[in-house]
Amino acid sequence: MAVARRLPAGIVTAAIVLPLSVLLVQAFADSWQGPALLPQRWGLRGFEVALGEGPGAALATSLAVGVATTVAALAIAWPAARVLGERRLRHPGAVFLLLALPLLVPPYAVGTGLTEWFLRLGLTGTLAGLVLAHLTLVLPYTVLLLLSGFGSHLRGLEEMGRAAGLSGVQRLRWVTLPVVRPTVAATALLAFLVSWSQYGTSLAVAPARPTLPVVLLPFVGADPQAAAALSLLFLAPALAALVVAVRAMRQAA
Amino acid sequence: MGGRARDVALLAPACLTLALLFGGALAGIARTSVVPLSGAANLDAWRTLLSDPAFGAALRFTLQVTLVSTLLAAAAGLALAGALRSRGTLARALLALPVPVPHLLVATVAVLWLAPGGLAERLLGGLPLDLVRDRAGAGIMLVYAYKEAPFVALLVLAVCGPELRAREEAAAVLGAGAWQRLRWVTWPAVRAPLVIGSIIVAAYVAGSFEVPLLVGPNSPPTLATFAFEATQGDLIAGQGTAAAALLLVSAFSVVLALAVMRFARDVEGA
Repeated sequence: MAVARRLPAGIVTAAIVLPLSVLLVQAFADSWQGPALLPQRWGLRGFEVALGEGPGAALATSLAVGVATTVAALAIAWPAARVLGERRLRHPGAVFLLLALPLLVPPYAVGTGLTEWFLRLGLTGTLAGLVLAHLTLVLPYTVLLLLSGFGSHLRGLEEMGRAAGLSGVQRLRWVTLPVVRPTVAATALLAFLVSWSQYGTSLAVAPARPTLPVVLLPFVGADPQAAAALSLLFLAPALAALVVAVRAMRQAA
Repeated sequence: MGGRARDVALLAPACLTLALLFGGALAGIARTSVVPLSGAANLDAWRTLLSDPAFGAALRFTLQVTLVSTLLAAAAGLALAGALRSRGTLARALLALPVPVPHLLVATVAVLWLAPGGLAERLLGGLPLDLVRDRAGAGIMLVYAYKEAPFVALLVLAVCGPELRAREEAAAVLGAGAWQRLRWVTWPAVRAPLVIGSIIVAAYVAGSFEVPLLVGPNSPPTLATFAFEATQGDLIAGQGTAAAALLLVSAFSVVLALAVMRFARDVEGA
């Protein structure tokens, strides 16, 4: 009976996890001729290609753009998230629509549209251009996630801090930041992930300065082992996000 | 400074940045679609686009892939939510696994498994059909079903907490059968996240780009890959045609966004 009840969950788990596990085998398969089920020779050739000249530079670009976009998005989103999180607007509908629209319009369309202006501003193919293009999608996510950290509870604590004679900076340091830190951490991780995953925007605004996903795609047909190695690097932040989310769920439970 | 003026000032950095970038992007594709690199504004790109049979095929293909992928993701998401409703954190975490995984990565994995010479072919000794380049877009649909069903399931599970359980039990005490509880208690609760999730999935699939590049047929393309191909084919006139096509997909997504807002407001107001 217990087995029968566990069966659906087991099947679901296998169906979700098993497909991704092929990356682990393929990435280390220096030689893998069909119909063998396991590689004939294991090795690190895939990672040598993945960390080599072109893909390595793309990895660095993706990291730099992801970090810069995340920092910029957090700084810009913070005040807005405060206002929205504390429900201080009577009619927040228009603001939420402005936040929702960029998330639903195809990223390749956003990138192509921005390119029209970036060409004139000399921003195509630059890190700044990539950051601005990613910000169009990362900023809405950042505001929407960050606002859950603010509310009347935090406001009450800050009032207490003010009554106790703490200055603005002291309140931020001793009251606000400790309370919102988990939300900020989760938001930062997801913001980074959104930037990290961008394909269409990056391809449109910076075809000459490829990011990790842009260099990954052609490898899929040409060199499956290198593609799998790049995919594992590409997957790492997503797994980190999941671990953080599970820890948060455990703490909440 | 009054409270209201202060709130507006605090909202300004995010809203102005977004208005500038997103508004700029839309204005940019609109401009590219009517102003060619050399010469005055005209509607040539739109005429070319609308008279191109390949555009009609791409439009039909995009609608077909969007509709089927969304229905698959919604049905599978609902089934997943049902299967995992009484499960703990670990099962939900595993369910959540595909949500942060980039689309491109899921498509890559699909190719490694399902392409000719891939792992599935080795395990089974042969595949009856080539899903990856399937002309009807089965590969694209499969990738989106895998990626988006857990997303829908998590949205549905979010409303399946103790409160819903209590209402179901109350209905059972009042003599409602299993089917009646499903129809009158469970379904009204899960309908909103299911519909909102499905609309978001539809908007995503309609604009899909890297997934069809990897696992879609060479022809027909989706609208976004049609636009990409247009820029590759004809460097001058192609830009305008591409922009016009992208503006149409964007308009479709904006309509869907408005539908989500409308639906969410109705649910909240109800």
